[in-house]
Amino acid sequence: MKAKVHSGLSQHKMDVNQAKQEHLLALKVMRLTKPTLFTNMPVTCEDRDLPGDLFGRLMREDPSTIKGAETLMLGEMLTLPQNFGNIFLGETFSSYISVHNDSNQVVKDILVKADLQTSSQRLNLSASNSAVAELKPECCIDDVIHHEVKEIGTHILVCAVSYTTQSGDKLYFRKFFKFQVLKPLDVKTKFYNAETDEVFLEAQIQNITTSPMFMEKVSLEPSMMYNVTELNTVASGKECSESTFGKMLYLQPMDTRQYLYCLKPKPEFAEKAGVIKGVTVIGKLDIVWKTNLGERGRLQTSQLQRMAPGYGDVRLSLEFIPDTVNLEEPFDITCKITNCSERTMDLLLEMCNTRSVHWCGVSGRQLGKLSPSGSLAIPLKLLSSVQGLQSISGLRLTDTFLKRTYEYDDIAQVCVVCPYLSPES
Amino acid sequence: MDSGEDAAQRPLTLDIAGVGNEEPEAHAPSEVAAISSQPNSTDVLFPEESIDLDAEAFISPQDDSAASGSMMDKLNDQMMESVLISDSPNSEEDDVPIDSLLEQGEDKESLDSKEPEEEKKEDVKEEKTEDMVTANQAADVGAPTPDSPKGQEEKVEVAKATAKEEPIPVCTIFSHGMQPKTLVPDGFQPTLVKSPSFSSGTNETPNKLAPLVCQPSPSLSKFFTDNGTVNPASDFFDSFTTSSSFISVSNPNAESPKAVTPSECQLSSGSSTVPSAEHQDAGTPSAYFSIGPQDSTPKPVAGPAEPAATMTTLQAVFSGSDDPFASALSLSEVDKRYDAWLPSEETRRVLISVATQQVNPVYVERDRLSMPGLKFDNLQGDAVKDLMLRFLGDQAAMKRQVLTANSVEQNFLGLKQLISTKNWRAAVDLTGRLLTAHGQGYGKSGQPTSHTTDSLQLWFVRLALLVKLNLFQNAELEFEPFGNLDQPDVYYEYYPTVYPARRGSMVPFSMRVLHAELPQYLNKPQESLDRLHSMRSVCEKILTNLEEGLAEDGSMMTLTQENRQASIQLWRSRLCRVMYSMANCLLMMKDYILAVETYHSIIQYEPQQRVQLLSGIGRIFLQIGDIRTAEKYFQEVEKTCEEKGTGPAQDTSVLMNKAFVYLSQNNYAEAHTCFSSILKIDPKNPVANNNAAVCLLYLGRLKESLGQLESLVQQDPALYLHESVLFNLTTMYELESSRSMQKKQALLEAVACREGDSFNTQCLKLV
Repeated sequence: MKAKVHSGLSQHKMDVNQAKQEHLLALKVMRLTKPTLFTNMPVTCEDRDLPGDLFGRLMREDPSTIKGAETLMLGEMLTLPQNFGNIFLGETFSSYISVHNDSNQVVKDILVKADLQTSSQRLNLSASNSAVAELKPECCIDDVIHHEVKEIGTHILVCAVSYTTQSGDKLYFRKFFKFQVLKPLDVKTKFYNAETDEVFLEAQIQNITTSPMFMEKVSLEPSMMYNVTELNTVASGKECSESTFGKMLYLQPMDTRQYLYCLKPKPEFAEKAGVIKGVTVIGKLDIVWKTNLGERGRLQTSQLQRMAPGYGDVRLSLEFIPDTVNLEEPFDITCKITNCSERTMDLLLEMCNTRSVHWCGVSGRQLGKLSPSGSLAIPLKLLSSVQGLQSISGLRLTDTFLKRTYEYDDIAQVCVVCPYLSPES
Repeated sequence: MDSGEDAAQRPLTLDIAGVGNEEPEAHAPSEVAAISSQPNSTDVLFPEESIDLDAEAFISPQDDSAASGSMMDKLNDQMMESVLISDSPNSEEDDVPIDSLLEQGEDKESLDSKEPEEEKKEDVKEEKTEDMVTANQAADVGAPTPDSPKGQEEKVEVAKATAKEEPIPVCTIFSHGMQPKTLVPDGFQPTLVKSPSFSSGTNETPNKLAPLVCQPSPSLSKFFTDNGTVNPASDFFDSFTTSSSFISVSNPNAESPKAVTPSECQLSSGSSTVPSAEHQDAGTPSAYFSIGPQDSTPKPVAGPAEPAATMTTLQAVFSGSDDPFASALSLSEVDKRYDAWLPSEETRRVLISVATQQVNPVYVERDRLSMPGLKFDNLQGDAVKDLMLRFLGDQAAMKRQVLTANSVEQNFLGLKQLISTKNWRAAVDLTGRLLTAHGQGYGKSGQPTSHTTDSLQLWFVRLALLVKLNLFQNAELEFEPFGNLDQPDVYYEYYPTVYPARRGSMVPFSMRVLHAELPQYLNKPQESLDRLHSMRSVCEKILTNLEEGLAEDGSMMTLTQENRQASIQLWRSRLCRVMYSMANCLLMMKDYILAVETYHSIIQYEPQQRVQLLSGIGRIFLQIGDIRTAEKYFQEVEKTCEEKGTGPAQDTSVLMNKAFVYLSQNNYAEAHTCFSSILKIDPKNPVANNNAAVCLLYLGRLKESLGQLESLVQQDPALYLHESVLFNLTTMYELESSRSMQKKQALLEAVACREGDSFNTQCLKLV
């Protein structure tokens, strides 16, 4: 390597000379990222200016300008990639491998092999593993390899060439090309448990590359227990829905975008609410992005897990509740009581009034036996004596078998308004 | 399949001896020797050994863009980079001399254009860190970093990792500790991201999660941050890298224009008499050149009377056969239309007081005046010839004939000749001489001077050429004394005796555009946008004035209907030009939303450019990666073309767009077909020819691609000696064989025969 020879390592220089066994074949490798569009730099003048139409003519004669709109910077001329660039996890590494016969003799039995060595594995990327019978001078063997990158970190492309010279010598050489695979996205997730069995997933996706990224698809593939609704569009009345991110679906470098999903347990699982307990698998995010001229990348998250909120032995949830009620006017709610334990329960319901909430009906009523995973829907009546947002509290369930009492406070909130509005309004 | 731990035990890799192998010179001979010494080498043709992955030796080509401070440097030297993949340091095995030259290009260090010393340092670093790497990796896998916010999840991963046998590589994407804490909302979990192909086939339960967790090592995360901050831009501009090779040559000793030799003076005297304020008798050019008019002026500020003399003579001198200013007075209507501009309130007051003779211009404060002067002396030089000297020898270089500032007439005609033959460096030199003659030569900046229509035109040409030559710093330096082009002395009203009854701006509109565009090339796009916005509002105000029945500047002058229409047309096209600049600037800033909006709004002013603009917007979307939206715009193009009726131009645009869509879908074969069908309509279309060749390369047909480009360059050099085509060609030469150097030199010869001194030699990749 010339640079190193220059660095004064005379010993190396000697080595180079010693090793100077000229190979008849030359191996060249070039990464094929997408080509880029040539941009030109418009400098214009008017006819009355000193150069007259000279500048205009020069621009019209320039093959890279857009004819008829020379001041448009972005041209149509494709230029080959100009450096290795960056490669990110999930993208496809493509490379041109060319073996050229530099000598003036015919070379036989050429075998070109391209392997990709990662920290964990070694993959063969060559399109064919059969030898080429002969290669004439000034001819080449071409191969374009593709590999979807699945690991972060150092990758080494190992290209090996073996061949036989006219004199029958079997020769062999290799070249190594090292590159780093970087992480393109930062994904963070957060779960929100709703009153119902619904779960909301917020995913923050940050572009940590250095180029804009068009997010072609960011979807949640739910696990078998859930149905998913994507909440990333705004229904604009008509059929077509508009993305919450506006017209442009691309992410600038370091920009973060928040995606929201609503997961509902499928009925068969929802009925047996006890099934969804502890750590559950929610699903995984599937992300497809594109960059320059359609360079594509795809990643999936691992299975997202959520700790389902613990409901203890008995779960009390609300099936129905009005959002707004009138002051001092009774209203109905429907509670659902689910036995989440493994045993049958015999339940007793007590209702305790709070400062603002007054329950109507008999407290201490027997609800009867409830088998495991069984549930009951109980309509209840209550009224509020205080205006404003009021918390519904004061339900007590007692399992008469075990003499255990479960307290349910702050089950939900209702807005209490005064129906007798002042006359002027 | 080897696991990482296996790799650690392989002989080639980890021990210190193996580290030595990292250096190619040491490595190569040992390896070759080993292989040739094995007589029964047939069965060991491809020894399967693992290579240690050195996580510390982290030089990604990304670094080179970090070095490039300004966006414009990238544009500037877009033809710089070698394309070939970075060769790992331990790779060199064949050492053909030419090859090694090339390898240098392949090597990532040289991509960064660093010095060999640095490379050496890198190696040393590699040696040091080498043996630690496995330990680090082991530690990384074994113990999650405590500061990681998601220690818990990691532990789960790791536990599974050790439990599982078969390695399924999965990379966890963790948020790093260095992220600003405030930005991390509570409760967010970093999420494991992996390539979907891994999951296929396997039962997806969390228990099956990957055993091998690749975490960013400290250096890795540092790398991420470094690049995140230092190098925020890397898309299509990214590939254009730094290091401008054209450094302007300024001659600090050039206080007096002694560079001019008598022979030059004779040349200049051939066509023109030479003006001088004091030396009306200065028929002798030497006197003119050696003593600038201002040098001998005793008064600090030129009074109106003196410029009068200068102006007339200068105009007499500069007036070429096609000089539009010669008959300026008779064209007062046209003048007024073109020169109209709205000065700032302050400037306007000064101009009014000058006009009403309340203030003698002599008393206008110095800092309100533009006092330009050349900031550097000579650009001289011809990069093509330098390269010829270096690679082809003196003899060949002798044959290179280009026009220089000396070989043309020392006037506007000569200047135009230099520009049209693409000898822009010589043209810049000539503008320097002519400006020196006007007393605005080297070192005259900051000295009082007077402007004329012609002197400002000369400045415009000079600065425009500097920009065309990518010498942005130089242009900025020389623009600086002009301020914001709104000083009183660049308006005609400032010179009531020289330009009686003439009003408006002496600064040509194109010069204002240039002035506004310049900062974006120096990585100050916001400044460009500010200037362009204020230009836009002036244009709009003038248009409103015209539409309201006033004159351009808002005065109550009556205009004939004809003149009014002509003026509206002119100012619309000027507004449009400003909009184009804004859109281009926004595109460079990667503010695609606004850029697209601006390009789109140009359509209403230039309906005849609808097809080009819509196609351009479509290409912007393709660049972002949004193929669907791009297709929508391309469909609109098709519709417009249908309305226009089919013609070759329409078909070409439609096919071109189609080809780009195919290209974005990785369908190079169809893209090639589209480009080829354009060639059936328009066989000389250089874009289609070049693009078809590029597609062939992606299809693995290097020789064909090369053949096509080569024959194009030979057959029609006028069209194909373009830097983009030559860059593609030289890149393919490098990929093709070890003899690319000879082929590139052949290209250099072709260039030498045709191109002027402004040719960007970087695309030949000879150095």
